[in-house]
Amino acid sequence: MINELKDPRKTFGEAVIEAADSNQNIVVLSADSSSGSGLGDFPKKFPDRHFEFGIMEQGVIGFASGLATTGKIPVFAAIAPFVTARPFEMFRNDLGYMNQNVKVVGRCASLTYDQLGSTHHSIDDVAIIRTIPGVTIINPGDPVTIRKAVHAMIKHVGPCYMKIGSPKMPVLYEEDVDFNLGKGIVIKDGTDVTLIGTGTVLSKAVAAAKLLEESGISVRLIDIHTIKPLDRELILSAARETGKIVTIEEHFIAGGLGSAIAEICIQEYPVKMKMIGIGDHYASNGPYEELLGKYGLQPDQIKETVIKFLSNK
Amino acid sequence: MDSKEILKLEYTALKLRRNILRLIRAGEAGHVGGALSSVEILTALYFNLLNIDPVNPKWKERDRFVLSAGHKCLVLYAALAERGFFDAAILDTYGALDSPIPGHPNMHKLPGIETNTGALGHGLSIAGGMALGLRLDKSPAKVYVLMGDGELAEGSNWEAASAASMHKLENLIVFVDRNKLQISGPTIEVMSYEPLDERWRSFGWGVRVIDGHNLESIISNVKQTPFEKGKPSVIIADTLKSKGLSFAEGKVNFHYWKAKPEELELAEHDLNMIEEQLRTKIERAGL
Repeated sequence: MINELKDPRKTFGEAVIEAADSNQNIVVLSADSSSGSGLGDFPKKFPDRHFEFGIMEQGVIGFASGLATTGKIPVFAAIAPFVTARPFEMFRNDLGYMNQNVKVVGRCASLTYDQLGSTHHSIDDVAIIRTIPGVTIINPGDPVTIRKAVHAMIKHVGPCYMKIGSPKMPVLYEEDVDFNLGKGIVIKDGTDVTLIGTGTVLSKAVAAAKLLEESGISVRLIDIHTIKPLDRELILSAARETGKIVTIEEHFIAGGLGSAIAEICIQEYPVKMKMIGIGDHYASNGPYEELLGKYGLQPDQIKETVIKFLSNK
Repeated sequence: MDSKEILKLEYTALKLRRNILRLIRAGEAGHVGGALSSVEILTALYFNLLNIDPVNPKWKERDRFVLSAGHKCLVLYAALAERGFFDAAILDTYGALDSPIPGHPNMHKLPGIETNTGALGHGLSIAGGMALGLRLDKSPAKVYVLMGDGELAEGSNWEAASAASMHKLENLIVFVDRNKLQISGPTIEVMSYEPLDERWRSFGWGVRVIDGHNLESIISNVKQTPFEKGKPSVIIADTLKSKGLSFAEGKVNFHYWKAKPEELELAEHDLNMIEEQLRTKIERAGL
């Protein structure tokens, strides 16, 4: 039901179990991390297909690579920075360079480990994983698309990185929404400006778009759930047709969704852009919604930023 | 084991050393020390132990070989060419633009290469995953890994060593090419791993220490794996770095060799000497 709050990790875990029911090749690897990733029921249901390793994320990426060489589809979920920044070289060489069919999932991603501080935030994961050729990066923005993303990721052959948050998030889509890897979703059409959101703050972008419409601004709103490969055509048509783009992400401005979109626009159809995200500093700690407010990611703040951006001739 | 068979393998080992020299001639430089120290290990594997098919390199039931110390790739290329995985003429492209045999192996460029290694401390985890996957499939295949002793300082190896014993990977067999030298000097002075056998044992492995240039010993020990029920096996192979080249043996500066023309001639001469000795042995054996 639209706006119903659902637990992203629980949703993710249920989808993996659903997929594993019909696909015998799916195995789950845990770095003391399965139960915290919504996969607590997986070893109960598939005891022979769940492997515990303890806290050794670098090694788990290697084991996943080796398992994939034998035709298995390893799913490895743990706290986002520990499956991206920590084992980066293993991700790059053992999964990317070897092109292995492994699904890495960073949970409690972005700022959602709010008060645990910068060691546990992952606002650089998209930036670093995006540099690895051939890795698909998926950042779904609601429970319905998390579930669909799991199935799409399993169906896709090749290394994937998917990120999900921690607090409950509102349902934004009907169950029958069309979800395809590499294709953005136009949530709302408009002509004055395009807002592009992703992941945990997509719902904030949706709310901001509503506020802007109420102020008489015609907003096109796009959900980019697949950050790599990026939906180039959709982005260029937004650039051509609205002339202005604002990106909204719970990530460093450096190297994230905004950067990826700018890389396309600046070369093919330059337009004015505003990137809302976190600047070149470690994020602070505190209650999640307050943290988002600190970085200008609440709907009313996004609205103000957009209005200011539009009035800047 | 039949002494004739051993002599044949010794002759193959010489061919691998010749192939390594051929690669160095083509590329003018390369990681020669650790390639030459592990020639007998690869000879035993590719010409006796491994259940592989060069015509069908992706055969599902094949044994896997993971070269964790990817810089030893010259010996891998030498063995694969000799075993018929690809045309030996490819060896002459070493160092050239887009050569299928880069300075660290790339599985996408040639048949018979199982992993992309080069950064140290990756191979054991990948091999562990292979062993786990093969066991899940109830495959009889085994996974062999070659590690360098300098490589053992990488902490990721010990994550993998713990996991392999925790998951009782009996089908995993590791060689440590203990040639005792790394770029900066003697390995135990750079970062000591001693007592190495006890270290592996404490991680839950079955351990043997052997002469890594003795083909018969390599083969007979591998045939006794798993050394202990329910445990992965490690063979610590004591070797001599740059084995076969008189002017380079046991010398730290031949880890990576920028070959001078006069050194190449000397190397050729050394290998010819080995060939003469082998021929005498072969004649005496009446082969």
